Amino acid sequence: MEQHVSWIEKVASRLGLVPRPNPSPSPPRLEDGTLSQYPPFERWLKWEELDASKTARRYALVPTTCFNCEAGCGLLAYIDLDEGSVRKIEGNPLHPGSRGKNCAKGPATLNQTQDPERILTPMRRNGERGRNSFEPCSWDEALDAIASRVRAALLEERRDEVMYHVGRPGHEGFVERVLQAWGVDGHNSHTTVCSASARCGYQLTWGHDRPSPDFENAQLILLVSAHLESGHYFNPHAQRITEARKRGARLVVLDPRLSNTAAKADLWLPTRPGSEGTVLLAVIAILLRRGQIDRGFIEEWVDWRGYLQELHPHDPPEVGVFLKRFGEHLESYTAEVAAEEAGIDSAGIEALADEVARAGNRLAAHIWRAAASGNVGGWQIARAMALLTAFTGAVGCQGGTSPAAWNKFKPATFSTPEAQECWNELIWPREYPLSFYEMSHLLPHLVGEGGRKIDVYFTRVFNPVWTFPDGLSWMEMLKDENKIGLHVALTPTWNETAFFADYVLPMGHSTERHDVQSQETHSARWLSFRQPVMRALARFKGEETTDTRTFNPGEVWEEDEFWIELTWRIDPDGTLGARRHFESPYRPGEKVTVEEYYSWIFENAVPGLPGRAREKEMSPFEYMSRVGAFELETGRYRQHLERVEVEEGSRMRVDAASGLATIDGEVVGVAVDGAIRKGFPTPSRRIEVYSKTLEEWGFEEEALPRSSPSHVAAGELDPERGIHVLVPTFRLPTMIHSRSGNAKHLAEISHSNPLWVHPDDAQRQGIGDGDLARVETKIGHFVNRVRVTEGVRPGVLACSHHMGRWRLQGGPGSRWNSSTVRFDELDGDRVRMRIIEGTEPFSSDDPDSSRIWWKESGVHQNLAFGVQSDPVSGMHCWHQVVRLRKAEAGDRYGDVLVDREKSRSQHAKWLEKAKPARADLHDGLRRPLWLSRPMRPTDDAYRL
Amino acid sequence: MASRNSPSYGFIIDNRSCIGCHACTVACKIEHQDPVGINKTWVQYLEKGVHPDVQRGFHVLRCNHCSNAPCVEICPTTSLHTRPDGIVDFDSDRCIGCKACMQACPYDAIAIQPDTGTATKCNYCTHRIDVGREPACVVVCPAESIIVGDLSDPSSKISRLLAKEKTVVRKPEKGTRPKLFYIEGDQEALDPLASKRDLRTLWGTRLPDATDAVSGLQGTPTMVRGEARRSYDIPQRHAASWGWKVSAYLFTKSVAAGAFLIPALLLILGERSALLEPAIETGLPVALIALAVTGALLVSDLKRPLRFLWVLLRPQWRSWLVRGAYLISAYGTLLAWWFLTSPDPGGQVALAGALLAVPLALASACYSGWLFGQAKGRDLWQSPLVPVHLGVQALLAGLALFLILRPTELAGALMTPMCVVLAVDGILILAEVFGRHPSEAARRAALIIRSGRRGSWFYWVCLGIGHVFAMVAALGLDSPPVAGCAALLGILVWEHLWVDAPQRIPLA
Repeated sequence: MEQHVSWIEKVASRLGLVPRPNPSPSPPRLEDGTLSQYPPFERWLKWEELDASKTARRYALVPTTCFNCEAGCGLLAYIDLDEGSVRKIEGNPLHPGSRGKNCAKGPATLNQTQDPERILTPMRRNGERGRNSFEPCSWDEALDAIASRVRAALLEERRDEVMYHVGRPGHEGFVERVLQAWGVDGHNSHTTVCSASARCGYQLTWGHDRPSPDFENAQLILLVSAHLESGHYFNPHAQRITEARKRGARLVVLDPRLSNTAAKADLWLPTRPGSEGTVLLAVIAILLRRGQIDRGFIEEWVDWRGYLQELHPHDPPEVGVFLKRFGEHLESYTAEVAAEEAGIDSAGIEALADEVARAGNRLAAHIWRAAASGNVGGWQIARAMALLTAFTGAVGCQGGTSPAAWNKFKPATFSTPEAQECWNELIWPREYPLSFYEMSHLLPHLVGEGGRKIDVYFTRVFNPVWTFPDGLSWMEMLKDENKIGLHVALTPTWNETAFFADYVLPMGHSTERHDVQSQETHSARWLSFRQPVMRALARFKGEETTDTRTFNPGEVWEEDEFWIELTWRIDPDGTLGARRHFESPYRPGEKVTVEEYYSWIFENAVPGLPGRAREKEMSPFEYMSRVGAFELETGRYRQHLERVEVEEGSRMRVDAASGLATIDGEVVGVAVDGAIRKGFPTPSRRIEVYSKTLEEWGFEEEALPRSSPSHVAAGELDPERGIHVLVPTFRLPTMIHSRSGNAKHLAEISHSNPLWVHPDDAQRQGIGDGDLARVETKIGHFVNRVRVTEGVRPGVLACSHHMGRWRLQGGPGSRWNSSTVRFDELDGDRVRMRIIEGTEPFSSDDPDSSRIWWKESGVHQNLAFGVQSDPVSGMHCWHQVVRLRKAEAGDRYGDVLVDREKSRSQHAKWLEKAKPARADLHDGLRRPLWLSRPMRPTDDAYRL
Repeated sequence: MASRNSPSYGFIIDNRSCIGCHACTVACKIEHQDPVGINKTWVQYLEKGVHPDVQRGFHVLRCNHCSNAPCVEICPTTSLHTRPDGIVDFDSDRCIGCKACMQACPYDAIAIQPDTGTATKCNYCTHRIDVGREPACVVVCPAESIIVGDLSDPSSKISRLLAKEKTVVRKPEKGTRPKLFYIEGDQEALDPLASKRDLRTLWGTRLPDATDAVSGLQGTPTMVRGEARRSYDIPQRHAASWGWKVSAYLFTKSVAAGAFLIPALLLILGERSALLEPAIETGLPVALIALAVTGALLVSDLKRPLRFLWVLLRPQWRSWLVRGAYLISAYGTLLAWWFLTSPDPGGQVALAGALLAVPLALASACYSGWLFGQAKGRDLWQSPLVPVHLGVQALLAGLALFLILRPTELAGALMTPMCVVLAVDGILILAEVFGRHPSEAARRAALIIRSGRRGSWFYWVCLGIGHVFAMVAALGLDSPPVAGCAALLGILVWEHLWVDAPQRIPLA
């Protein structure tokens, strides 16, 4: 559409005085008059549209899965066919979880893949480890060096000396399979700094470790989390919460700070950290008193029998008696008591109870990180939340809250390695028998103890030096070659942990790697395919492809091919028994290709997929490669009602009192409503109010739901003296831990983490908005700028954990959003990190790097936190009791001081609360067999 | 669908569902391959209230695609234009980088692209619209808070929503008729003067802009509990986008106009004596030189100076930039003709030339008043007195000039007229600064002139030296060159204060 051109211009352009207007090309319009969100699928491989400069471009649209947060949203890469590269990234409309929509991190993937500071070749340490000097090396050299060491460890039966430590998995069991093929118990994770307590609370209650709320059909959405900006799973959940709200659903949020989610809430309860459990129990008590509960559901699915049997064995076994008894147990949880503890008006508690009562069983509730991960006993808060859904009958129904496992799909693979027969005490120390799961944050405190070491340590998209508490301990461990023999960092981007690696191996982003992923985003099960899009395009063209490196920038690889190749080099002749799991299911004895690996899954292990693919006249692999995702089924409600099918010839016994159905002594279900049903995977197959497991493992006082006193409860604080609770965990909608710092468009929006302080608290300390303050923790202090805000409750300080990235002088690192720092040894055992220079513009192939205008990159507060392990869940309890003071003369923005001695004693102090597994108790088990455990070993390995 | 042939596209931003995630911002940047520092759309955060009754609101801000778009009206080359489908688009191949659009747009929606030096803004993703696709921000939005569609089709989703929900637009009083509507729009967020714009945001910082330097005037620096604060925002791109070159251009243009206006008037009034010849002898070259400097200043202020001729050759006639360029060119042509042919001052040819020169000189001086009037973003410039004032200034500049350069021959006759004009000028200035202002933005701009960081310049130099002392020098000290210099200084300082001050009021 051209603008009006005057006669003068017409003459002038004819005379050649001004350029002739260039009519823009007009590719065919999609439909007449209306606007579509996405090109029709049929034209994805041959799509033409204008770019913003109105130049016509030919694209192929290839789907993949986002690799930023854990949600696994669908992406659609627009491959410019003439330039042979990805020009932009949008959402994949055919992805059931994200439905074509994304958060800011989806499109920003392009920033990450085009980051001029990417690691493009394998790097080998050059000089002492931790000196931060690297040189390029070949993949072959790295593979051989790693393989020979792993092989030696396996041959010498040092099976606890090979460890893989993952930050962001993004796959469904690929690496667990690798490790089990090697026969090592070497899987470590980030769960104890993330969701351990939430998982613990849920699993102890209903046997599944996570909830999957049906937000889109709910009447009340109750969040102890910030799902409109973060969490499992931000974008898919935010979409559905928003949809529900548009229909009239209500949103209630418990959060001591005004999160974006709280800002949208119909009712925001800024409860004091640690009081959330009391609030939720008070609500249950109110509902019980008012009779606003789902008695039918409770009668069938709550284990009141076990409750009465354990606590009131002489009472008649009736649900009414249970309700009365449990009501008595909750007698002290009045609205007034809860309000007092939470520091809010008791009308707020009543209002919450009213909301819950109005919603009936359409209550979609979620607690993730937040209070669960902040407080000791945070798992009791999650447990109270799970019980609230049980007492309202909201478990598993439409608009209610289902267990996550119902809505997540884990496909089988063409061969399953046997469970390992060993148990790694560096990961599963006996002190924490109920941990959820790997005690990852204690690793630096465990390695070296009793001479234990790790010979080969893989870190994969994992940055504990920065993300975990007590980073200095991690640095010390990583530097010590007696503790870590070889450190291999698999990462797309430089990070603080990779600085301490022997090999830094560049791995692809979401458009550069293969994985399958499934998440419980809604009441359905889906599987999403992540793929190197340039390689996928070559496959569509019929080209033979054998190596993802051919299609990625530089020599960037992907983990799948790396693990296959590494395993073949570890076990070249197959004698270790590892290689056979990486031989082609189609070409016996040959190395499996990634195409074959996933083809087998799509052809054999995803019910419904082959049929759907046939309808589209595609192979299952082609279908996943073209469409990107497959929804197996929707509306997965009331799975606990599913009947247990008894094979002919096997004899089932049903216990009259408990209803438990067993075959050959193994519990298979529970008799409810005239049938044997699967129920819930707890020992009673029902939702448990009383936990026999807790009682048996030394936590008698926690066996009943209660409000565990938090380590940051009001009694531990003294606002007059500046002693407050610090909430250091909240996430931003624009960032994801340490993976997104190199996305320039995200860094431009978010690049610091000021300390949120309520005006009263700031005034008391004489601190003004923007002033520097010192926050003293148990092991040191950090110096940050204060944001005086009404958005946080009095007595609470809040600081986002996303910021404070750093790099060392002269070394590698992402400069988009990090400061250059130095570490100074001070007197005693004290170390201080100090910023030498903030974020600065730099020159690179991307002109934007010289346009960086932001100077701050935040404060690395995690460094100043000692580990605080919950004795039950093993969770690192993030909330900190701190003292807020004005900065002292000489303090500088970003200073972090740590006393190593205090960090060690902090761990020791918390370790005293633990109740270790003992050879003389529980049949000598290290862990109850019914609790889930990633990469589960043989039952024998459970024994001490 | 009756409207199929001529849709009228608009936006609704539904603040009920917006979650402030910034996905729209990033999707826009990726779609347009925009560099760091360019935000065609952004999500302002606003917090207000006292804990626990505290709110945080999100407002997606961007071009409003006004039905009556001031940026289109002022754009000299139709780079900014309204398409038949109602979208206000830009064409960087036509933009000369004059930044007039940034003065005209009352919403701070336009920026200069650093790579091309041309204006850029949200264009509703016309390249996608033209193939039948929704804009990138709409497609990405997880909360479906950005609704697009055809406002002329009553059955479209956007029309139905608009009919059903209460909506607000930004600054309706500007008469721009925005086609971007907010459901649950908060005036404190949409009115740039109603909230505090912090340099530190919730999770970052904001680059300081030219409005921050005077922030002391816009709100108390100390925090008032519960007051509205922007906790995410971007810099004001339009602020101070016209700098000293534009102030200087107004000054040199006044001199150029006045320098030949006086001799031409003398000639018309039949003044044949000793006055006329020196007036022409001095006035003509000064006018020519001042006009050349004016042109040089204008061209050098363009972000794309090599495209300066496009103002004349690719004209958009409603723009006073174009009209002014033609007026100046005509005036310059007349001066050049006079200079080359030196017509006999007593002859008919000269009289005809003078009769032409007077309106051309005055028009060259005054047109900027209407140009600045087209700058709808600047309330202070909307005063109807501006064209008159510029004419008075041209006269004053001409008179002052002769007092300086030809004191012996001309001072006797011109001293009194200059004092009269000086007095009129002073009254006009006092009226602009101390008079009643129709809007808060104009009032604040006037406040910046008299009490901003250059407040002392206003009182001491503009009023003190430029008017009071000039008058004293003329009448009391009998020193015409000193009086002339003082008056010229007064004009120069006033122009700069007047051009600068309104540009320090935030627009978004």
